[in-house]
Amino acid sequence: MLSERERERYRRQILLFGDDVQEHLKKAHIFIAGAGGLGSPVAIYLAVAGVGTITVVDHDTVDRSNLNRQILHSERDVGKKKTVSALETLREYNPDITVTAIDATITDDNARELVGTADGIVDALDNYPARYLLNRVALEKNIPFFHGAIRGFYGQATTIIPNKTACLECIFPKAPPPEVFPVLGATAGVIGSVQANEVIKFLTGKGTLLAGRLFTWDGLCAAAEEIAIVKNPACKACGTIPATGQSREKKT
Amino acid sequence: MSVKVRFFARFRELLGTDIMAEPGQGISLAAFVAEITRKNKDGYDAIFDEQGSFREFVILMRNGKRVETVDAGATLVADGDEIAVFPPVAGG
Repeated sequence: MLSERERERYRRQILLFGDDVQEHLKKAHIFIAGAGGLGSPVAIYLAVAGVGTITVVDHDTVDRSNLNRQILHSERDVGKKKTVSALETLREYNPDITVTAIDATITDDNARELVGTADGIVDALDNYPARYLLNRVALEKNIPFFHGAIRGFYGQATTIIPNKTACLECIFPKAPPPEVFPVLGATAGVIGSVQANEVIKFLTGKGTLLAGRLFTWDGLCAAAEEIAIVKNPACKACGTIPATGQSREKKT
Repeated sequence: MSVKVRFFARFRELLGTDIMAEPGQGISLAAFVAEITRKNKDGYDAIFDEQGSFREFVILMRNGKRVETVDAGATLVADGDEIAVFPPVAGG
């Protein structure tokens, strides 16, 4: 049951969803991988919308150079663990939800346990090897994987539904080389908001997901486009030969 | 013949987008992309390696369908084609 305070907090979206769906959001659990540029807007919007349980995982410490985009953290947090400041910020935004912030590096050994029984995984990561790992965990657990990525004024997002859509490895079978990428906070805001919106649509059953479509954002022209994406039958992660222990071992 | 090329993300920064080109008949997709990217060395180098092969992470699409970069040398460009070339964006 929603408390009076919750009913008041969510009044303007209960107009959209009704009480029952708001209660459904309260029962949901979303796993957010990363408390950085994308993880910040995703976590904040899911928290204020009343997603009842949010797990955020990050292993980093807040650096001043993060603050142009990572709005979970502020000047007072420089030098603190990102999980500490993320937890404080999210509790301030919404004391009526449960937030768990875990200071950990996501690896092949701990990924399945960290995700636990979450209803979906948000990709707010900054590298492909960890993305590939969580893409496979999402396939194994049969839960959606909400992909997002940014660079400079550009970003992309898609919603991966196991057995229905192309998975991350179908779309991007090879990782680009690592780099210190330039980025604007507003780009993270656009793509993180798209991801949070996808999570809320998935949990509420509203609208049409970004399933089978790669959304691309070009902030320099303020143009959004989409690219149709299809499953790769020979995909190593989701192809007709399902992921095996053997192929997973190669990912570590 | 007339072919449209769309670049995305970093490739767009370096090469622009929505480029209309008029390649000769019988040109392969690989040769065509190489031809239109040669005008900008950084753009070319972002997409092709020192041997002139597509970098392994480059995604190529022709009329909305994926073409594996290893097959692009044997895929002919046709009039009215729309080619998309993009890198995986990685930051978060």
